[in-house]
Amino acid sequence: MTDELRRREQDPGHDGVVDPVAREGVPIHIEGRATDASKTQARRAQEVVFDVRGVTVSYAGVPAVRDIAFDVRAREITALIGPSGCGKSTMIRCLNRMNDLIPGATVEGEILYNGENLYGPRVDPVQVRKLIGMVFQKPNPFPKSIYDNIAFGPRVIGMKGDMDGVVERALKRAALWEEVKDRLKENAYRLSGGQQQRLCIARCLAVEPDVILMDEPCSALDPIATARIEDLMLELKDRYSIVIVTHNMQQAARVSDMTAVLMPEVRDGDQTIGHIVEYADTGKIFTNPDNKRTEEYVTGRVG
Amino acid sequence: MAEVRIEFHEQLRELEEETLATIELAGVAVDQALEAVLQRDSELAVMVIEGDDRIDGRYLDVHQGILSLLARQNPVASDLRLVAALLHTIMHIERVGDLAVNIAKLVPLMGEPPAGAGEIMAKLEAAGQQARDQLKQAQISFEQRNVNLAENLVREDDVIDSLNRQIFQEAVEIGGSDPHAREWGAHAMLIARYVERIGDHTVDIGEQIAFVTSGEFREFTDASRPGGVPA
Repeated sequence: MTDELRRREQDPGHDGVVDPVAREGVPIHIEGRATDASKTQARRAQEVVFDVRGVTVSYAGVPAVRDIAFDVRAREITALIGPSGCGKSTMIRCLNRMNDLIPGATVEGEILYNGENLYGPRVDPVQVRKLIGMVFQKPNPFPKSIYDNIAFGPRVIGMKGDMDGVVERALKRAALWEEVKDRLKENAYRLSGGQQQRLCIARCLAVEPDVILMDEPCSALDPIATARIEDLMLELKDRYSIVIVTHNMQQAARVSDMTAVLMPEVRDGDQTIGHIVEYADTGKIFTNPDNKRTEEYVTGRVG
Repeated sequence: MAEVRIEFHEQLRELEEETLATIELAGVAVDQALEAVLQRDSELAVMVIEGDDRIDGRYLDVHQGILSLLARQNPVASDLRLVAALLHTIMHIERVGDLAVNIAKLVPLMGEPPAGAGEIMAKLEAAGQQARDQLKQAQISFEQRNVNLAENLVREDDVIDSLNRQIFQEAVEIGGSDPHAREWGAHAMLIARYVERIGDHTVDIGEQIAFVTSGEFREFTDASRPGGVPA
């Protein structure tokens, strides 16, 4: 995986080796960590995909989130929840370097992806975004056929071979195949909103990612389409690691294994900075959270 | 339209299965407790007492599962009614387990039945069997969402109520001037009373079945009002 993150055309004189970071036994500084011994033990045995350590993200020198620390385990769904302006989207966009595209955005601290610094000097952001796909709030299919939407990514990265097979496999994994298999040449805009979002998920799957990031993927969908996407997420987690940002607490409660609660704190007048107040097993967050602010947020007393 | 929220419905189904399977465990405990009384088998009584941990464990599992489901899955309509009914039902089953323990605890205290105790013993056995049958009926009614079968539990429970009154009368009479016989009779009354309470719990489970099905909670019988028959 390590090599996959790097630019394809490296300086031939460079050995391309990055020192592995010793990670065993590093305590993760998180308030209100789940105390359930069996769950914690079971999770320890699982592979860590992201290890986020002391991350502060600033826009034009103004911090938006500070000291963020949590880990994302393989084949789990990790939710980031919190009120508007707490930095959920800022944080998830760091996980595939989408913030690089915003002028003046800086990321301090470390985000280790499969043990390697995601922001290391030899890491290729394009490769990062191939391995770590993203689905956005509003479905954003290309103005092309259903088939071409799926085939676009594989063609761009030079995938060869059975493109029909690639398209079919991606659509099947996104639970859309049965609904569109007889109209693959139709324009993707003719699909419903929920189908368009599943198409975007299929498009993301077509380039064989490792992680899927979802930034409020259901906020534009009706309850049934939302339930379909949630069912799909639960199916996909057998194969992929998923991080979801949602302002819908119940959605995080329904689908996620782990939940990070971000809350804004006011600094310098009306400036707010988000930080994690609690990161724990989702069941704990919604039945018996350790942190008072988590309790107030999930019970609707503050927001 | 394809089913959605598949995992949630699967979790709910598992909770129902675990709850109803716990009725089986409670039924076995009732059977064994009565067997221990009739056979004066103190070892079997100890097994009943120790086995109650399993029923309590199931109660805690279902209770925790329901809390988690309420917090995370936001059940509504028939799903919400089922969740509420399961919470009541598992509590009734846990109480049945405790009553079986109460019966088992009397076994080492009772000693040899006094002369003329045969009739009372036969009625205790009949009441225990009736309670066992009612537990099975409650389980089947729940599985099938069969309100008629659930309502029939009231009539079935009249059998236990009647046996309880008969045992009470006979136990009062058996004592006479023999202190051991009086004590034995008092213990027999307690056992009959515990079995009668088990019967009541099966009726309460029946009421939950009617609630799940109809959406309205109603008591099948109301012993506290005129015309109601005190148990």
